[in-house]
Amino acid sequence: MSLLEIKNLSVEFGSEKNPFRAVEGLDLSVNQGEIVGIVGESGSGKSVTMMAMMGLLEGQGRIVADTLQFDGKNLLTISARARRKIVGKDIAMIFQDPMTSLNPSYTVGYQIMEVLKIHQGLRGAALKQRALELMEMVEIPAAASRLAAYPHQLSGGMSQRVVIAMAIACNPKLLIADEPTTALDVTIQAQIMELLVSLQKSQNMALIMITHDLAVVAEVAHKVAVMYAGQVAEMAKVPGIFRTPTHPYTEALLKSIPEHSKGAHRLSTLPGIVPGQYDRPSGCLLSPRCPYVQDKCKAQRPGLTAIEGGVVRCHYPITAKEA
Amino acid sequence: MSTVLQARDLTRYYDVAQGFLKPTAQVKALNGVSFELQAGKTLAVVGESGCGKSTLARQLTLIEAPTSGSLLLEGQDAAKAGKAELKAMRTKVQMVFQNPYASLNPRQKIGTQLGEPLEINTSLSAREREERVRAMMARVGLRPEHYYRYPHMFSGGQRQRIAIARAMMLNPKIVVADEPTSALDVSIQAQVLNLFMDLQEEFNTAYVFISHNLAVVEHVADELMVMYLGRAVEVGAKEKIYSRPLHPYTQALLSATPSIHPEDRRIKIKIQGELPSPLNPPSGCAFHKRCPFADARCQQEVPELRALDERMIACHHAENINS
Repeated sequence: MSLLEIKNLSVEFGSEKNPFRAVEGLDLSVNQGEIVGIVGESGSGKSVTMMAMMGLLEGQGRIVADTLQFDGKNLLTISARARRKIVGKDIAMIFQDPMTSLNPSYTVGYQIMEVLKIHQGLRGAALKQRALELMEMVEIPAAASRLAAYPHQLSGGMSQRVVIAMAIACNPKLLIADEPTTALDVTIQAQIMELLVSLQKSQNMALIMITHDLAVVAEVAHKVAVMYAGQVAEMAKVPGIFRTPTHPYTEALLKSIPEHSKGAHRLSTLPGIVPGQYDRPSGCLLSPRCPYVQDKCKAQRPGLTAIEGGVVRCHYPITAKEA
Repeated sequence: MSTVLQARDLTRYYDVAQGFLKPTAQVKALNGVSFELQAGKTLAVVGESGCGKSTLARQLTLIEAPTSGSLLLEGQDAAKAGKAELKAMRTKVQMVFQNPYASLNPRQKIGTQLGEPLEINTSLSAREREERVRAMMARVGLRPEHYYRYPHMFSGGQRQRIAIARAMMLNPKIVVADEPTSALDVSIQAQVLNLFMDLQEEFNTAYVFISHNLAVVEHVADELMVMYLGRAVEVGAKEKIYSRPLHPYTQALLSATPSIHPEDRRIKIKIQGELPSPLNPPSGCAFHKRCPFADARCQQEVPELRALDERMIACHHAENINS
């Protein structure tokens, strides 16, 4: 039994008559101690999936799923009160911009202690002791004096460490990091990634990394799901997915990284952008941008088929074509 | 080949108020930077936030005058130019900013925004201006109907195309691009980088490309300047530096850049901590607090830029580290 089990998840926005499906038929399972990368362009539904799972879309999106299970509990039928006991404690999330995810009017110490007060009922000296311990765990220098610092007094990297400290405060079983290093410099990015992975190992957490930078997940993830326009285009193990991508979209994403075209004058690109609400094609969602498009792709949406170590959603997967 | 831009020992200090009755402090944002830029070539400036990259951009685009040092644009000294001459010089240097959501006026139609530089700086009639704008729009891959649209109707990649078109309207000699792709997805980044390369080939424009993404820089640059706390630490041809970085900071930056094939990485240097505050810079070599090779000499003596192995480098121990 995996820690997180999502089967056939769809999230709809807008009117009932003419809904926009931000996520469509998504399957994902995450085991304890596993690092899963979710990769895709803006608008591919990466963040909405996680928000839906955590119940943060209440009142805006309609969530439909066959299974949405975390640690043996059904998140679809759970009451809001019971969900609050899980979210923030067993499932924690780190957001992209540390400057906006901290409250500017409270000290970072207060914000870390708030989590501990609510979820673990700690008080007094034990509370302060644990907060200090967490600040040291995320390698903030001079932790004791930084407890009284306000977010604006810390650099971006330090703020992100504080956010991580808050997220791991209650020893979560699952940590979701939504573009945790996009707003940071490369050297700080490397430090934060190292910290996340070492925490993941020492606490045996599951870690979901949401990013648009394939290189970031290539270094740490065990498994990668590539999302496109609300669907999983390909899910496979690392490093296989980077060596022999099966879906044309994965291949195109890999090719568009400058590292791939060393020495070439032009980068290979995927023309166009992710289709929005009104311009989703009737066939395969990638068909207007796909370099290998056939007539069948324009007429019929492909389903998921099993490949070695994962699944792919394509009528003509790349390895099959070459074989 | 002609030199379009010469910077000699550029410095820029800012006064910072410390509080009532306290003496003002001085931030040495830019501390003696020299380089030359040839027509049709790209100089990439690399470094972390706070290293003086954007201050340099402000000097180059003649937004601010340097505290000392000289800036020669096609041989003409900016410090000695009169008001009218300065206005003419400014048309030769244009800028593309990081965030295309913020750098376009939300209340003006694209056609108007692109025509504005022509209206101010040339005596073309309205009809001729529109012709030029439409030609440039076609050149950067925008459709004719976009002329009447507002910025919010475009995606991030399209907005960056508009920003680039605006910079190219006056056919400048130099375009200063400050992190032009860091707000974009990888696939869109590839499209925008290709556009930069095509325009350079067509108009023989020189670029100053500011970025902290070394993978992007490797693709676009001819020359590379690595900056740390207001000083250049390594300057030279891109091939030389990428194939054999000599400065420990350059090595650290390169090894911190995430890679699709991390196992291919040759240099693995981890650096601790963050960029020190420029208000209170360390004595001697600014990098010594984070440098794994630092010794007593590094704490006292500021290393000067010197020639070594076909490049310029500011490190006391470059030979010993790399032997």
